[in-house]
This record gives sequence, structure tokens and C-alpha cells, in this order.
Amino acid sequence: MQHKIPVSQLGPQGEIMAHAIEACVHCGFCLPACPTYTVLGEEMDSPRGRIFLMKEVLEGGLNLEEATPYLDKCLGCVGCVTACPSGVAYGELISTFRGWSEPKRQRTPFQKVFRMAIQETLPYPSRFRTAATLGKLGKLMQPVLPQFLQAPLNLLPDELPMAQPLPEVIPAEGARRAKVAFLAGCAQQVLQPNFNWATLRVLAKNGVEVVIPKGQGCCGALSMHTGERERALGFARNNLEAFPPDVDAIITNAAGCGSGLKEYHILFHGEPESALADGFVKKVKDVSVFLAELGLKEPPALKQPLKVAYHDACHLAHAQGVRAEPRKLLKSIPGVELLEIAEGELCCGSAGTYNLEQPAIAATLGERKARNIIATGARLIVTGNIGCFTQIQTHLRKLGKEIPVMHTLELLDKAYSG
Amino acid sequence: MALKPAFVTEVQEAVRAHAKLLPRGGGTKTALSTPRAEQTVLDMTGLSGMLEYDPGEFVFVAQAGTPVAEVEKLLGQHGQYLPFDPPFVEAGATLGGTVAAGLSGPLRQRYGGVRDFILGVKFVDGQGNLIKGGGKVVKNAAGFDTPKLMVGSLGRLGILTELAFKVFPFPKATATLKVTFGSLEAALEALYKLAVSQFEFYALDLEAHPATLTLRLGGLSEALPVRLERLLGFLGNPAEDRRLVLEGEPERGYWRGVNRLEFGEGYLVKIPIQPKKILALETALSTQARCYLSAGNLLYLNWLEPIAELDSLLKTQGLSGLVLRGSTSHDVTSLESPFIGVNLEQAFGNRVTAALDPSRRFSPEP
Amino acid sequence: MSLSANPAGLLADLARALPQERLLSQPAQLTPYESDALTAFRARPCAVVLPETSQEVLETVRLCAKHQVPFLARGSGTSLSGGSLPIDGGVVIGLNRLNKLLKLDPQERIAVVQPGFINLHVSNAAAPYGLYYAPDPSSQPVSTIGGNLAFNSGGAHCLKYGMTSNHVLGAKVVLPTGEVVELGGESLEGLGPDWLGLFVGSEGLMGIALEIRLRLLPKPEKYHTLLAAYDSLGKAGEAVAAVVASGLLPGAMEIMDSLAIEAAEAAVHAGYPMEARALLIVELEGETPQVEAEAKYLSEVIAQSGPYEVRVAKDNDERMRIWKGRKAAFSAVGRLSPDYIVQDGVVPRSKLGQALSEIERLSHQHGLRVANVFHAGDGNLHPLILYDGKIAGELERGEVLAGEILKMCVALGGTITGEHGVGMEKKEYMPEMFTPQDLEAMHRIHRSVDPDELSNRGKMFPSGEAPALSHGAHPLEQAGVISRE
Repeated sequence: MQHKIPVSQLGPQGEIMAHAIEACVHCGFCLPACPTYTVLGEEMDSPRGRIFLMKEVLEGGLNLEEATPYLDKCLGCVGCVTACPSGVAYGELISTFRGWSEPKRQRTPFQKVFRMAIQETLPYPSRFRTAATLGKLGKLMQPVLPQFLQAPLNLLPDELPMAQPLPEVIPAEGARRAKVAFLAGCAQQVLQPNFNWATLRVLAKNGVEVVIPKGQGCCGALSMHTGERERALGFARNNLEAFPPDVDAIITNAAGCGSGLKEYHILFHGEPESALADGFVKKVKDVSVFLAELGLKEPPALKQPLKVAYHDACHLAHAQGVRAEPRKLLKSIPGVELLEIAEGELCCGSAGTYNLEQPAIAATLGERKARNIIATGARLIVTGNIGCFTQIQTHLRKLGKEIPVMHTLELLDKAYSG
Repeated sequence: MALKPAFVTEVQEAVRAHAKLLPRGGGTKTALSTPRAEQTVLDMTGLSGMLEYDPGEFVFVAQAGTPVAEVEKLLGQHGQYLPFDPPFVEAGATLGGTVAAGLSGPLRQRYGGVRDFILGVKFVDGQGNLIKGGGKVVKNAAGFDTPKLMVGSLGRLGILTELAFKVFPFPKATATLKVTFGSLEAALEALYKLAVSQFEFYALDLEAHPATLTLRLGGLSEALPVRLERLLGFLGNPAEDRRLVLEGEPERGYWRGVNRLEFGEGYLVKIPIQPKKILALETALSTQARCYLSAGNLLYLNWLEPIAELDSLLKTQGLSGLVLRGSTSHDVTSLESPFIGVNLEQAFGNRVTAALDPSRRFSPEP
Repeated sequence: MSLSANPAGLLADLARALPQERLLSQPAQLTPYESDALTAFRARPCAVVLPETSQEVLETVRLCAKHQVPFLARGSGTSLSGGSLPIDGGVVIGLNRLNKLLKLDPQERIAVVQPGFINLHVSNAAAPYGLYYAPDPSSQPVSTIGGNLAFNSGGAHCLKYGMTSNHVLGAKVVLPTGEVVELGGESLEGLGPDWLGLFVGSEGLMGIALEIRLRLLPKPEKYHTLLAAYDSLGKAGEAVAAVVASGLLPGAMEIMDSLAIEAAEAAVHAGYPMEARALLIVELEGETPQVEAEAKYLSEVIAQSGPYEVRVAKDNDERMRIWKGRKAAFSAVGRLSPDYIVQDGVVPRSKLGQALSEIERLSHQHGLRVANVFHAGDGNLHPLILYDGKIAGELERGEVLAGEILKMCVALGGTITGEHGVGMEKKEYMPEMFTPQDLEAMHRIHRSVDPDELSNRGKMFPSGEAPALSHGAHPLEQAGVISRE
């Protein structure tokens, strides 16, 4: 295809976009991998179609406002990246395009407030805790609230766990095998603090010393993926500074945060911190990958065999290519029978703030995922991301199924503690 | 009166010169090659002979009037064969007649029928134009698939002059197992099981009385005994008096016999069918000679009663048939049409026919 | 478009016939439909219709006929020949929502599907019964049965059991005039002219299949997948001729050259020997004892062909990896070059070596790299001509090179397309294969079914309506060799 993207006017971010767009050969292999195409069945709601739309907008052939309804429907799950034989860096493209286009967008006052509310709340655990507590009040009033406020409330738990501040260092049990720095994540600290505690216990059990840098903040993924580039840069700069260089790895236990951190080199492309970001990115690892590489201390056998379905979080499987490692860890627990979920490569609809912004599609995908999960006959669902956790739990309940959902590290933790 | 062109140009001239024409090859399908009063017969056997054959290519091009026997002999010298297994070879069937009648035999079970092996065609249309379709390589997606269109066309869309086919290597060894069953139902049940099984049959024929399956295996001789043994095991090791294994010359002789479709007096009719329709049809049939080929997809039936009775029987069964030939006591000249049973005519076909033969030179109707 | 065409009237009628969200006409809705997988061409339709029932397709076709506006039916838009390129100002009928499996009868080994049903999903649905659908174009996870039928799609495993046409038993079809006919039947055998055979592969020029009856085959008991690496493309080509001559009949025989290996390896990490100049994949399939016996002969034939490394897939995972690499190869070439042209010519198998060295010569002559990945057992070449559209003159040189390859295929006794179809891309080369009289006869057939040439107008036949080229005039047009008037 003939391309006329004005890279010289667009700058370094333009290079990223042009490179990805020009790599697309329009073969269509991304179509079945795309949740919105699967649900909506329209070319403009497919990765190939969105690439075409972004190209046209950048080349001046189409107004941004005409394209945004379709671009906004993209979950950013990057399932298409896994399916793409040509190696189109779609994730980098859509994030960069959102960053480029956000300042040019005409948003309604309501949209602005809604977006601002998300951006000012979710990345800050203390604010989120307050908001979530207020949300509990909201839940009581839910029947009378307008539709757009229903979605966020649906995802809030009925009971919010107590805040449990994390220490700065957790020493290794026995001989130290490694030293890592840990990113604690934002929403999950509030919603599921046990994810972190379980992770820290398992790491310590495996001889890993963990430091939890005090100055750390949000990874910035939320802002990056919604086009708030400046805000994302701020978060990222803070983390580049906060994380110590003398660690073997920077560990996360949230898929979205991990892939966010791994995108720092894209975010800083053409910025002064570019080299620093490259070095940082190389150290980032999901906790499952780190443990699989380190070699897991074998947990004792479960009291009785357990059928477990592992759900691939998109930001682990597609964005980071992490599929084998969590499965390997789970299989190393004697007594676990690991089941695969049909359409496992399809997003559950959580996708960061997506279920807040596109509740209808998110709910369709959530229900589809829940049905596929139920069909496995599993007694426990395991995943590596807080967003998926919440979404799956919500939709299983909607279908009347109380199948417990856990983080991968929670199951490992339970196995160790018997 | 019959014309016997020796060159394609003579076929073209004949078409332009005659209002009603009926092409004929070996004349083995009398119901299809016996002219109506106003039809001039075009004897195509003068356009005979292999035009191109490179054994390493597994493709050949021949004139339409070439006898199938000649083709098979040449192919056989290189260990190759026509996988669709046309009938009436010994009686003198030609390539063109086989394609025009759309006929395949028992071996079609393995790789498909005549439509699956035709690659290219040249034909003279109703205005005397010589038209080419397809090609002579095994895969070709350029242009409309007129070679397939000609399969079963009975010379009513054009007069075939040249044909290209792909062929396959004939298996190094073959063996045939005949198994009889206590009932037709039992034989059909076994047929279904075999047809979805991983056994690969060169032929999978069914006879109703006595209920018998005839299974032909082919491949490397060293693997054949164990395959035969596995097959018998799959069938529950039928007792000695219920099974017969044919090998060597007796086996080849058996299949030559099937190829003749020689059932004595009566009308020979080709009926496309499906296994699920066999039981219902069988309740309406009695002693007529017949054989179901290709896992119950193709019935060759010998009909002794007036053809109108078969016509209405087929209609009630939701089937269609093509009368291929009669016998001394079963006259074909009085047949209104060789097509019997459910009428398959539709708008698409009528339009394409009119496009290729606007003056209706090839139509038997006035 | 014909003078009597009334797109405004059509849009008004369509708006009454279909819910608003399934009639697309905004620029942002139309743009993504402008190209299929052949991006050298773009054309803007006046509307895209997304029917959800056969009745809605029928209605749309009838309204197009009433208003004399041409239409194109498409599935997933994966045509490599521009077959699913819209008609400028015409209607696109997107069939991807007609994606139901209407019937699966394992006993009769038949599946009936709607046209938007995806190829691979047929085999997935049949798998529990030990059955599969044989034609396997590389696009099979994406492409629809309707599109496969229109273009008579092939694939790697066509050697034994043929193309789409050999696996379609029947179809319910809406003709461009709006009439509905049944072609073919339920049996493997038919009577009368093979109308269905004519319809399959007619590139959407004769109407739209609404329901398609497919034949299913039992899944082979055993696969034996062999990978042989050679230090020259010529040796791999000779190995294919030797396997064919040996009397073995593999299910598939594929060759990839070094560029294709590099791309596929980068895309799916198939574990191919990276330093090979050519890779040959041969797959035997069938009953276990037969395949095991054949494998011995195959090893001997391959050993004599001078490979420097031979591997046999140990298990199904390894087999799937080998095939994944092969099937991703086309798109993966996008990693090596910003643009490419795929060709699809066929040559007699004994002339493979000759054709490949001629392609190499042409590649040097025009200064463009050519990657080769092809169905060697069928003699079906897929040269991928790599160019950079941003470098002035490269596309034009690529198209000239592509044209010379096609002419060579015809001169060697082959054809311009084995499985991708003529579509938009190769229509000007049809006269290389067919005489004006041949083409006129096809045209007569065409017009008898579609007198107003509404269905996929401008495809397959040379000198049809000029397409909207995204890159200006075709080089052959500029040279005065062809014309699209």
C-alpha cells in the first residue's frame, strides 16, 4: 500500500506509528484474534481496519473525530500482535496514536470529567480506597443511578479489605538466591492486597530478597494506553528514579503493570531518558517468569486433586509473550490438573479501564469468557492480573457460578502453606 | 446418417452446417448416443489419440474420441491409472463419451470421480467456435471452470474435441475383501463405520442381495497383509464362510467384470444417491441387478420394467437417474428423455445452455 | 457504472430494508473496506451492508438489481488477487455475520454452512467425529467458505484430494438477478452438466452462495512429516520431481527458500534450519502401516536428492510448528520488506527447476529480491516480489517482474494462477492463456447469468471497468501495452 504519513512533522512518535502501519500487509490474520471484531463483525472494529483508519487520519484523509469511535473500542489487548505474522507492533501503534491524538480530541465535558476521575483515582491507592469506599455507598443507590455509573460499581467488591502497608524489605528465607525490586501496583493493593502478600511470601520462600522501593508509584500504563502521554511520562520518570539499580530484576505480579513497564522504551523514544529506560525495561519480569527461570522450590502435594483452569491475561500472554511459565509453576504443584479454556486467546473484556469506558462490549466479552470457563469444569480459576480477576469473578457470579478465582501466586502460596 | 470428422475444423464445419447434432464416441451408452429422427450423428472416433503424455508429470492430453482402453494401456505401462475408473472400457468407451455422460466406477471411492480429475477441455460450441477451458497443469484457477461444466453435459453444451486429465500412480499391490452380512441394515451399519474410519479404500461397494460389502485396499505390498488383518479385526473377524479375500489375477478379473456393468436384459440407469436413502429405496426394489458404489453414493441399477415406473419410483424417493443404455428387449429409441426421476432443471443451467448453444443445435428437443 | 445506476435510490431502499447499524456509509466505516489482502488496489464503495440472514442478502441483491448498482460479496477480505476489492461506487455485501454451521451430519460426512463460516471452523466442528475439511489455504484461520468457494481456494494439501471445488457438494445460490437456485446435490455423484463446478471458482461473477454443502473426510490415522534442508533451491526442486516419479503420493510437498525461511522463522519460531538455501516439507498421510512403509521409500528418495539435513516431526506439536511456519510465510515476508507482490503461477512439475532459475535471473535483472514459498508438489509457485513502495519506481519494476514471471509460467505450459484467482490483479494476463474466442465464450456464459454485470463487476475479464489504483496507472498501461478502458 502507498503510504504518505508525514513522519517529519510528527516527530519520534510519528516514526513509531509509521513503522507499524507500513508493516501491515492487510492479510487479515488478526481478525479472529480481535475481541471486538469477534463481537461486532465489522472491519473498522478490527486491528487491520483500525490501522487503516489511523493511517488515513495521520495522512489527512479522514477526520480524527470520525475515526475515534472505532479506535476507542480497541481493548488494547494486543491479541492481534500474537496472531500477526508480519510483526506489526500494534500495541505500540495504538498507545502512541492515542497519545498523539488525545490533545486534538473534542470531548464532552462529561467525558472529560469521567476520564479525569479515572486518571486521578485509579493510579493512587489512597484515593482509590476512598473512592471505592464511596462506591460502596453508590452500590446501595445503584438501582437509581444512570447507566454509565453502573459499570464501575458492578466491579467493586461488597467488602473492601483492610489496608495493610507493605514493608520496605522482605528478607529471603534461607540462603539468598536473588535480590529483586517489587512494583506493588495500584488498584490491586486496595482490592486484593493478598496478591502482593502471597507473592512476597512465595518469593521469600524461594530464597529471594525483595525490596519495595518507597518512592514508587503507578507504572503509567493506564495513562499510556488511554492517550495521557504527559501523565504517563511523569509516572515513568518517577519510577526510573525510585527503583534501585542493584537488583537482579524488577518484578511485577500484575500483567498490565508488567507490560506498561516494558513499554517505557517506547514512551521515552526520542526523550533524554531513552537509554535509562532501555536499561530499566531489560530488568522487568513478571513474577511467574522470574520464578520459572529461578527454579521453583517444589511445593508439597495438595490434600486432594484440583482441577484448575488458567486464564491468560492479555497483557501477559499477548503483550509479554508469557504463557508457558505460569502454567509450568501451576503444574509443579502436585495434585493440580491444569485445564485449558476454549478461546483462551480472547480478551475477557477487562482491559484496564475498558470496562469503565465500553461497558457493553466489555460485558459481552466477560460473559463469553465466563461461559468458556464454566465449560472447562474447573473448580478453581487462576490468572495473573487484577483486572481479569475482577472481571471474571463478576461475570461468573452473573451466571450464578461461584467458582473461586485466584492469582497464580496465591495458589502457590496456599500450596506452600498447605 | 453419421459424419465422421477427422479434424477439429471438420467438427466446426459440421456444427455450422447442421441444425441438430448428436456427438457419439464408442456408442457404449446407447440411450445417450441413439439419435432422434432429426439429429445428425457426429462420430467422434476419428478424433483419436494421445496428444501429450509425460509420465513424470502425471498429466495427459488426448483427443476426445480416444478409447479409454488405449489410454489405460499406456498409463498402465508407467504404473499409472485413471483414478475415476470409467466403466465400459472393454466395450469401447471413449474419453469424450465418458466425460459427456459423467461416469465413474468403483475406484472413485479413493480419490474422486471424473469431475475431480479433468483439467482442461476444448470443445466446439453451438456456433462452431472452438473454445478452450482450463489447462494442463494439476492446479489452475484461471477463468471459468468449463472443464467441470462439461462433465455430464451429454454433448448438449458443446462437442468435446480434446481433454486433459491428471492421473495417479496405481498402487503397487491391491487386495479385495468381500464380506456378507445377515441383513442390509447390518451391511449399511458397517458401511457407515468404515466410511468414517481411518481405513482408506480404493473401492467400497455394497450389494443388497445378499447384503455384501466389497472393500478394495491398495498400497505397498509389505503393508497390505497387516492392513487386511486390521480391517478384518475392525469388522469383528467375520466367519470364514462370510468373507472372501481376492488377490492377484482373480482380483483384477473381478474388477474387470464390475467395470462392464453387464446385467443382461434391461435398462441400465445411473442414480446418484446417499447411504441414508438406500434402505427406503431397497424396500421398493426386488430382483433387479444393482450395485452401490463409493460408499453408497452411486447406484448402477438394471431396470426390467417400463422406464416410466422407475421414473415415478425415483420421484417418490427424491432421486434422479440417467438411463445409460437398453437392450434388445428394452428399446431406448422410445425414451422421451434419458433423465428420469426428480427434475434437476433450473434457471442457471438453462441460461448457460442458451449462451453456449443459442440455436439449440445440441438440444434433442425441436 | 451503467448510466441507469441509481445509488441514491438504492441507499434509500437499503435504509428501509436494513437496520441502521448494518448499513455503513460514513467515511470511517467505508475506508477499512477499501482493500483486501492485495493492497496495491483501493476502491471506495458507496455502502457496506452487513446482512445477518439469507433473506437480507437476497433483498440487497434484488435492490442492487433494481437500481442497477454493482455489488461485491466478501467474507474476511483475504483475497490475494484483489478478488474482494470493492467496486468503485458499488455496494459491499459483508457476509462475515452469516457464519452459522447449519448442519453437521457425521454419518453422511456432510457439513452445511453459511458463506461467512470460517474454513478452519469446519474442521474444528468435525474433529470430534474424526472428520475434517480438506482444503487448507494458508488463510484458513481467517478466510470464509464463501470466499473459498468463489475463488476455488487451494492450499498445501491439494495434492491428493484437490481444491475447494472437489469438496463442495452443493450450494444454494442467489443469482445477480435475484433468483435463487440450487446447484449440485447431496451425493458425491451428480447428473447433467456440472453447474456447481462452473459456479465454484467463478470469482463472484455469477452470484452469491447462501448455503454451502461440504464433504468431510476421515482424518488420516497417521502423518509422517519430513523436513529436508538443501544448499540450493535446484536440489529441492529435483527432490520433488524424484518423489513424484517414485510413485509415492504425499499429502503435501512444499518448498521455501532462504528468504521465506528467514521470515517464517522470525514470525513463528518453527525451528527451521536457518542456514538452508531451501527447505522441502513432505508429508505422507494415511493408514499407519502404509505410511510407515512409505516413509522408508521416502527416506531413500530424499537421501538420494542430496539434502544436508533431514528431520522427521516426532509428534503432533512438531508437525504443527512446521506447518505454522509454512502457513505464516506470506505475511511474514512483511518483516523483510515493507511491500511485496505475491504471484501464483503454475508450471508443469518437471519444469520447476527451470522456472526457479528463470525467476532468479529475472530477480537479478530487475534488481528486486524474490522470496519463494510454494506448493512444489502441484508445481504451484508463489514468488513474493519484495519492493519498497516509498522508493520511486520500485513498485513499477516489481509489477513488470511479476508480469514476466506469469508469462514464463504460461510459456512453460502452465497457468497464471493456481489458487488465488485472477481477480483484479491478473486480469490483463488472461489473454496470455486464452484466445479472444475463449474469453468471449466465458463472457457469454457470464452475461447469460448476469446480464447487467452487477456481481463483482470488473474482475477476471481483461479490459473491464478501470479500478481505482492507489498508485496511479499500471506500468503496462503507461507503456501502452494494456488498457483498462
